[in-house]
Amino acid sequence: MSAATIHQVQVPQPKQHGKPGGIMRHLNFFTGLVSGVVLALVFGYVMSLQFPAGALTANFANAAAGPVFWAMMVGWVVGFMGGMGAFVGPIRWLLGRDLTHADAEFMAGKDQGKFRYWRFTTDHKVVGIQYLIVAMIILGFGGLLAMLIRTELGITWMEVFNPDFYNSLVGTHGIAMIIAMIVVVSGPVGNFIVPLMCGARDMAFPRLNALSIWLLVCAVPPLILSLLVGGIRDGWSVYQPLNAQAGPGMIGYQTTIIVFAVSTALASVNIMTTVLTMRAKGMTWSRTPILIYGAFAAAAMGLYAFPFYMYSQILSMTDRLVNTSFFNPIEGGSVWLYQNLFWLLGHPEVYVILIPSIAVMMEIIPVFMRKPLFSYYMAIAGIVGVVGLSGLVWAHHMYMTGWAPQANYPFMLSTEMISIPVGFLVLVVIGTMWRGAFWSRLPMMAVFAVIFNKMIGGVTGVYLSDVPADQYFHGNMFVTAHFHYMLMGAGLFGAMGGIAYYFPKMTGRYLDERTGSIGFWTAFAGFQITFMSMFVAGLQGQPRRVLQFDNMFDISNWISTIGAYVIGIGMLIFLAAIMSSWRSGQAAPSNPWQAQTLDWQTATPVPLENFPVLPVVTKLPYDYGVPDPLAPKKLEEQYDEKVGAPS
Amino acid sequence: MADTMVPAEEPEAPTNRPPAMHRLREWLQRRYVRHILIITVVVGFLLLPLAWLMLAAMNQSGGPASSIMEDIQQTIFVFTLVSIPITAFVFAVLLYSLFGWKGKSGDVPPNNDNPAIRTNAVAVITWTVSSSLLAAFLVVWGLIELADITADSYGSTSATGQPKTEDALVVNVTGQQWVWTFEYPQYDKVATDILYLPKDRPVLFNVTSVDVIHNFWAVELGIKIDANPGAITQTGVTPNKEGTFNVRCAELCGLHHAYMETKIDVMPAETFESFMRESGAGRTR
Amino acid sequence: MKRFLVALVSVLVGAGVVAGVAVFASATKGETPLLVAEPAGTVDTPEGPVNAANLELYVYPNSSDAVPGPTQGVNALYASQGWPFYWPSTTLQVPANSLVTVTIYQYDSGGRVFNPFWAKVHGTVDGTMTVNGKTVTEVDPTKVAHTFTVHQYPESGQPYLFVSVPLPDLGSNQVGNANPYSDTPKEVTFTFRTGEPGTYVWNCEFPCGDQYQEFGGPMQQRGWMSGTLEVV
Repeated sequence: MSAATIHQVQVPQPKQHGKPGGIMRHLNFFTGLVSGVVLALVFGYVMSLQFPAGALTANFANAAAGPVFWAMMVGWVVGFMGGMGAFVGPIRWLLGRDLTHADAEFMAGKDQGKFRYWRFTTDHKVVGIQYLIVAMIILGFGGLLAMLIRTELGITWMEVFNPDFYNSLVGTHGIAMIIAMIVVVSGPVGNFIVPLMCGARDMAFPRLNALSIWLLVCAVPPLILSLLVGGIRDGWSVYQPLNAQAGPGMIGYQTTIIVFAVSTALASVNIMTTVLTMRAKGMTWSRTPILIYGAFAAAAMGLYAFPFYMYSQILSMTDRLVNTSFFNPIEGGSVWLYQNLFWLLGHPEVYVILIPSIAVMMEIIPVFMRKPLFSYYMAIAGIVGVVGLSGLVWAHHMYMTGWAPQANYPFMLSTEMISIPVGFLVLVVIGTMWRGAFWSRLPMMAVFAVIFNKMIGGVTGVYLSDVPADQYFHGNMFVTAHFHYMLMGAGLFGAMGGIAYYFPKMTGRYLDERTGSIGFWTAFAGFQITFMSMFVAGLQGQPRRVLQFDNMFDISNWISTIGAYVIGIGMLIFLAAIMSSWRSGQAAPSNPWQAQTLDWQTATPVPLENFPVLPVVTKLPYDYGVPDPLAPKKLEEQYDEKVGAPS
Repeated sequence: MADTMVPAEEPEAPTNRPPAMHRLREWLQRRYVRHILIITVVVGFLLLPLAWLMLAAMNQSGGPASSIMEDIQQTIFVFTLVSIPITAFVFAVLLYSLFGWKGKSGDVPPNNDNPAIRTNAVAVITWTVSSSLLAAFLVVWGLIELADITADSYGSTSATGQPKTEDALVVNVTGQQWVWTFEYPQYDKVATDILYLPKDRPVLFNVTSVDVIHNFWAVELGIKIDANPGAITQTGVTPNKEGTFNVRCAELCGLHHAYMETKIDVMPAETFESFMRESGAGRTR
Repeated sequence: MKRFLVALVSVLVGAGVVAGVAVFASATKGETPLLVAEPAGTVDTPEGPVNAANLELYVYPNSSDAVPGPTQGVNALYASQGWPFYWPSTTLQVPANSLVTVTIYQYDSGGRVFNPFWAKVHGTVDGTMTVNGKTVTEVDPTKVAHTFTVHQYPESGQPYLFVSVPLPDLGSNQVGNANPYSDTPKEVTFTFRTGEPGTYVWNCEFPCGDQYQEFGGPMQQRGWMSGTLEVV
């Protein structure tokens, strides 16, 4: 036997044609916008040629409106993504001119300055910032709609808006905020921070990463445009068959959801693969920071929840466009089928929003308490428990639908069980606070706000999980107030704390403490005013989604509206703090909070491949504080103290 | 919840570990523990009026007008009482952290010596057991109350769709965009736009919709059920109070959803009979 | 200090945007111009003289050169020629504590109402209406074109008002979808009694729109088949 020889195989490298990046050098957001609009118009025009002018369907609808709007949506999606350069990679691969290393580096945004934020850039840090900006824009849009809604509800003596426009406001506000809240933590933190925290050089699939953010960007305009053609006037849940009565604007909603679901699925796969395969050497499951667990859990829930949503919207779309009748009860469809599909998304999605936010809080607390995270395993158990139960509780949204009255018993059981793992998370938080003097900075103060809101949201959720109480509260303003406490009170305020915490890593500057705090606490105060009085309106019996109501609800709605304006002011101040600090804030060192997680151990601004040398992890990153003088000592130590240790 | 303590006395004999009760007493004597417990009690008592205020808000429009609504209010009352201690405790820890243990600001972490408490078996077990017991209590209470109001609503023969008792009044409720109509099949199919009900007589509602989903919510009677197109859902109630109450649509149903309201007129049984005979004889209201 | 200025500016800009959008959306909300009932002296009733007023409405099956139809609101972008509508306005105003006589000229074809309740007359004086001069209390439920249904506004401080009259149809061969409209519309007249001032909404209860159950399109947008009725 001769000694084995190692054959070094020369892998043929693709040849570099022209400058690195090739056609990608000329493609960016603006070319995407132009080609999206052009293709939308072309598709719409071609579709309109299929219909003679003034063509009507059997029941007097404008026959062309729906198909034309649908064709425009298809044109927009294809054109925008094509114009962004999303298809360049696969096409070059098909043509046998795969991307070279230099091309890939160009796509990662190497040496492009600020303009890389406008491109199909694969670097996870760029994508994280893009997510943050996009989420803030959608939040601003949703916030504007919220102000309009509260204006209508505050002016109790007249209809300020058309009722149908009001319904559109409610629906669009709902879905815009849901989308924004899903990405506002998972996006920036999941993309920017999680790979850093894992000690990885990038996400597992950088090009999918770029695809997921630009699909999100692509998903938003149809939502806004749909306001012009009938709007989403059926609430964010667009229950069938009311959905089937809406104008072509509903196609905008369906397009948004389908594209957004694809975007979410890609992002989920990406985050999960990154966490599973790219954690640093030595970062075992018992040394993994809790935020990574949170991001992983949210991605896992998103991965199984969003397909239901996408599926329900595809079926809705075929119902609308090609007269299938999945959900049309007159032709044998089922309205309960839609509700089941929808809430199979609907409830996990709440935790997709909440869990990352709570996980960020649990990263913040040890750093600012200068104490280890209390009972790390309880935190993991809590997250796992929430994920496990989240898929088993969807029908608690359907207690009052008559779908299956007998099923109310098991769903009530599973829903109330959720309070146990959520309780674990509360224990972790207050356990970490126990006996510690905290470092009083904005991220830490946000924790107090979030825990306060989460307790109120959690306790009111217990009423809603209970069928008899829900018999009063279902479809009632109480529900609205409850989920705003959860999604906004815990989710959004947590996101604000998270932004304040990660701001130095993302931008190299501190978020201005004074203006930031003023904005935060103004919004917090307004939030309590708004939604506390909304609880009162709900208890009095005001239904949801109404623009006029009995005058017995007037006072609580006036207070609510005043509070909403205060929230608006607070949020704008916080936004101003973000903008001005980003431009000219106080410069921050690379580890301003002296945190121990890996994300803070690299330079700021983070270099292209994050770590010059990949780190090795030897412990859990929560080693703060000093040995506790009050802790029970081992008996030997006591003995040694008293008798004297053997020398 | 907390770390436990071993007093420093008598450490010579390793076997002489103080008993649990003793350690608990030691723990309770710590300043912060006492303060937190006091704050918990204070906050708890401050929250306590909520239990009654919530019911007061619910009864503002004249309810409760049925035993179902009374059951619902009882559930809400009990849940409020049960959740107050745990809420008060968490708020007390937040408050004590803010004002007792206090924070320090500054650009660098305050070089403080917070104890490195990694976990505490006693606290974890106490918390898990108590929260599980609490959840179990809520579940059991909810299941019993649900069975109770289901029996009140449907009677024992819900499967057949027939009224529980012979003298039950049957009302066919039709939701449609954006008006409720009520039909009384036992009274010559009288149809009205206001829901007229006799007091102290079981009523069975067959609820359906001709177009989209509505939700039939008789607010002060405490019943709520979706009106689904192509399906009949049932619920029932026995009004036990005379007066004028509200029906509201609790499921977004389009343009005039906000205006899809009507009145319930609960009247004595004899008045109801004569009223129905009058309406049934000729015109329908 | 500069940061507070930035904050102030952004709050002002934000408030301006909200106010601007609210004013714009409110101004373009697509309510048709107010139609005030014409006073018609007083009428003697058993309870004494009562003010009277007259209101005249038309129902057309589709828009045409002669009657352009409503064009307001966001639905204008996809509104169909084939949508029926009330004309000249759907925003109505009638005097309080009066007898209001409404005359509706109905030019549309029809069919079956979902709920026979709507083929009957509700809430008018004597529970009757006249169709081309003939007094009736109900019409054939399979031959209804539209209804005029005033119903409750969720305001407990104002009197309850519920008025619903069916508008019988023209045979479909009598209608046609082109100009001019039929020369022989159904003329429906009914009188109802208003109470104290209040605001009400009204809409059509006949499935005359498009899409699912013919309740989309014109049924889901003010200005076509629904509106407000103000009692002042």
